[in-house]
Amino acid sequence: MTVLLIKNFLRSKSSLTGLLVLLVAGLISLNIGKYFLEKNKEIIEKTAEYQQKSIARNVAFHPKEIGLLLYYVRFGLVNEMPNLAGLSIGQRDINPSLQSVTIRNLEEQKYATDLMNPLYQMLGNMDFSFVLIYFFPLIIIAFCFNLISEEKEEGTWSLVLSQSVNPLKMLRLKVLVRYASVLVVLLLLLLVAKFYLVIPFDATFLAFILTSILYVSFWFSLAWLVASFQKNSSQNALILLFSWVLLTIVVPAGINAFTVTLYPVPEAFSTVLESRDGYHNKWDEPKEPTVAKFHQHYPQFSQYKHPEGKDYSWLWYYAMQQMGDDEAAADAQAFKEKLQKRNRFNSIAGLFFPTVHTQLSLNALSLSDMDNYLHFLEKLEDFHEQKRLYFYPKIFTEADVSGEDWAAFGLDYFKDKADVDWLRILFPVLIISGLCVVWAKVNFRKNFMVG
Amino acid sequence: MNSFVYSWQTFFMRITILKLLSRQVWSSKMSNPGTLWLIGIVNILVVFALISGFRNLNQRQKTEEHYSQEVRERWESRPDKHPHRMAHYGYVAFRQRFPLSFFDFGMDSYLGNAVFLEAHRQNTVNFSEASLSNGLLRFGEISAGMILQLLLPLLIFFWGFDLVAREREHGTLRIVLTQGVSWQELLLGKSLGLFYLALSVFVPSAVLGLTLLFFSEYITENPHLYLLYLLLIISYLVYFFVLAVLAVYVSARAKSSKSALIQLIGVWLFFTLMLPKLSQVAGQNIFPTPSKIEFDTTVEQELIKQGDSHNPNDPHFKALKDSLLAAYKVDSTHKLPFNYAGYVMREGEKLSTETYKKHEAQLVETYQKQQNVVRLTAFFNPYVAIKNLSMALSGTDYAAYNDFQHQAEDFRYQLAQTMNELQIKYISNKVKSSADKNAVISKKNWADLPDFQPQFLAVREVCQNEILSGISLVLWVLGLVFLVKYSVKNLKAF
Repeated sequence: MTVLLIKNFLRSKSSLTGLLVLLVAGLISLNIGKYFLEKNKEIIEKTAEYQQKSIARNVAFHPKEIGLLLYYVRFGLVNEMPNLAGLSIGQRDINPSLQSVTIRNLEEQKYATDLMNPLYQMLGNMDFSFVLIYFFPLIIIAFCFNLISEEKEEGTWSLVLSQSVNPLKMLRLKVLVRYASVLVVLLLLLLVAKFYLVIPFDATFLAFILTSILYVSFWFSLAWLVASFQKNSSQNALILLFSWVLLTIVVPAGINAFTVTLYPVPEAFSTVLESRDGYHNKWDEPKEPTVAKFHQHYPQFSQYKHPEGKDYSWLWYYAMQQMGDDEAAADAQAFKEKLQKRNRFNSIAGLFFPTVHTQLSLNALSLSDMDNYLHFLEKLEDFHEQKRLYFYPKIFTEADVSGEDWAAFGLDYFKDKADVDWLRILFPVLIISGLCVVWAKVNFRKNFMVG
Repeated sequence: MNSFVYSWQTFFMRITILKLLSRQVWSSKMSNPGTLWLIGIVNILVVFALISGFRNLNQRQKTEEHYSQEVRERWESRPDKHPHRMAHYGYVAFRQRFPLSFFDFGMDSYLGNAVFLEAHRQNTVNFSEASLSNGLLRFGEISAGMILQLLLPLLIFFWGFDLVAREREHGTLRIVLTQGVSWQELLLGKSLGLFYLALSVFVPSAVLGLTLLFFSEYITENPHLYLLYLLLIISYLVYFFVLAVLAVYVSARAKSSKSALIQLIGVWLFFTLMLPKLSQVAGQNIFPTPSKIEFDTTVEQELIKQGDSHNPNDPHFKALKDSLLAAYKVDSTHKLPFNYAGYVMREGEKLSTETYKKHEAQLVETYQKQQNVVRLTAFFNPYVAIKNLSMALSGTDYAAYNDFQHQAEDFRYQLAQTMNELQIKYISNKVKSSADKNAVISKKNWADLPDFQPQFLAVREVCQNEILSGISLVLWVLGLVFLVKYSVKNLKAF
């Protein structure tokens, strides 16, 4: 019987078309991911080149004063993008994966965005995660909305009931054939992705694969549950499509709307104002308090003093710049915490909805989520601080510009690591799918006992 | 005379038949409790979207107003100082939201909200909502625009797929057609019925939108918002009509109602989810744009070529200096009757801004070319047409944003040059540094700089920007009417 069911399914034109649609859409998405990765690589390569050139030019322009030179010189930090991000681009097309900063105040630099056509950000990418989350369920719905109803409507159901030993077994086989064929396409796509995008096979990729499989399984168990109510085809289709619209469009957008209302971020604006005043107002204030505050922040630099009676010194200048960061620190911290709160709220709300949970998990595994960006910002702060600590003494002692090996300042790289928390990633969808299957079992038992 | 009476008679008969057919669609769908539920749910969703959109809009407007005022107060309360320091202190401009943006969020969430304006450099507009969100935003946002553009069409298709196909399956189609109803009347009548069903969601939301607009604090000063809103309503009506006719036409062409449903859902998926994304990727590939670092480097290199105002031996600025010395018949810049450093900075600002603007214009042009790739798909895809129209009329499209960016840049230039003028006029050539007591001017001057008050695009400009989308919607109507009129020969009654 199994062979017959498989043959039946594969011989039907519509099921093959469905599988083909998934395959083609999936392959297109892989290509889009590849393009995205390559573009990112190109930007990094070009930036590395520009940075070298620009440092060399600035050194040639300002060979005497290291304080003045460092006003101009930019150092780049790259937020390394794993190739897996080609499958789930996430926020990587919104937040820059590379930031170049001078040692002046960081708050004015760290939120700078890349140049992007906002229409594209709005329409979004058709990456693999999009195909998985939106397209796979639709094909699954098309495969499963008439599991029983088809037989009933074509009059073969009574035949099945009279002949088969166990009609439930036959139905189960029917679903399994469909499940297996969709899984084959999914795994085939991931296999192609592995080689085409050169993704290393590690725990992260394994988690990515399992998350995708689980997501597909969830939709099959939902379709199975709907079938167990034994309604007619159009009712099944309506229920399943309604669930699809709800889970892929309405619920995520609803959670997002809720997040925005619940956690507005006025800190974004206040940070800008505080940092601006923190630095610029110092020009009009006496120099001593500024320098004193600087010494308080960096006791190790107490031996460097602002030369008395002088209008200007680099110590005073960089102390003013430092105040831009120091005085905005509270707001910047509040800003970051607000983003973390938003993030936490979303991921908790997402636990109950496989679409949201899957998207967030895939983004997290691909290091293209908000957490990764926040880690990058932290790393950027650290990177910036290290550059300051390195150059401050040189500036204050007016070290020779030529004494520094400027060519050695290439791009730095930040390599974040995805946190593979198996339980958290897999459990929620597993539970929800399991509940669907159990509920379906109860329904089938009830119905077949009666029938 | 006779034929005239006859044609009038047929005309009236047609109207009665259309009424009859459409009423039949309405009552048969409405007799299904599921339909009422769906209408109820979608209506609740739209009401929620409109009210929360309106509340968010008001809240954001208040936040922006608050911080704009603060920026102004801080600017005016700066003490006496050297004007160039004020030019560096600069301004922060906040993007104002368009009063109609509660209807369709468009790309609002992807646009920056705050930009620091200072002398010498053009900063990016930062803090878009998207940059403050994690991946959820990419699922889309609940706005009236989204529901009407994306979800209501799905409902229209769902209500419409069986309108003709099922009658054919039940054999009633032949009876209707033999009773003297023409195919054209049948298709149009059913489409109208479907259109009225769509109105059951659209009319309440349009009325609520109008009510909210009426209570908007901007409406008294900007009565033209009513005009934009009217255009918005008309566009949506045309869109729904197009979809209704399309659904009925597909239902008439399909072999079975099941096949009609599958085709229509396929059309919906392709139109709303696939084509926009694919066309955006195509646009990016055909018209590549530079990254920020590339852009900055190109501008920087051109500026270096033009002349470096900081370099005393730079040929451009040396020539400037020599010509000034000759004109005023002095041997040193110290003896000039105005502040020489300010003069040089004014020149430098002018050059660098011109260069930046030239490159920025090129970039924007490339963006527009990319967007046109998407926009042109409107001729195949009414969803893109309505999306662009709706965004433009709600003031949440790229044109509105670009306009804001230009106003902010113009203000930045005005600020820098006003400060340079003050320096040229009031600061002596003898002061050594900006900390010098003589290098300071009264704070009264700060208040003379007018506040940054961005204006929204005029109605005419909004319409001009999206003329293509409007035309494509009209073409859709004409095309479908043409199909209904002339391709009915291929339709089967059984």
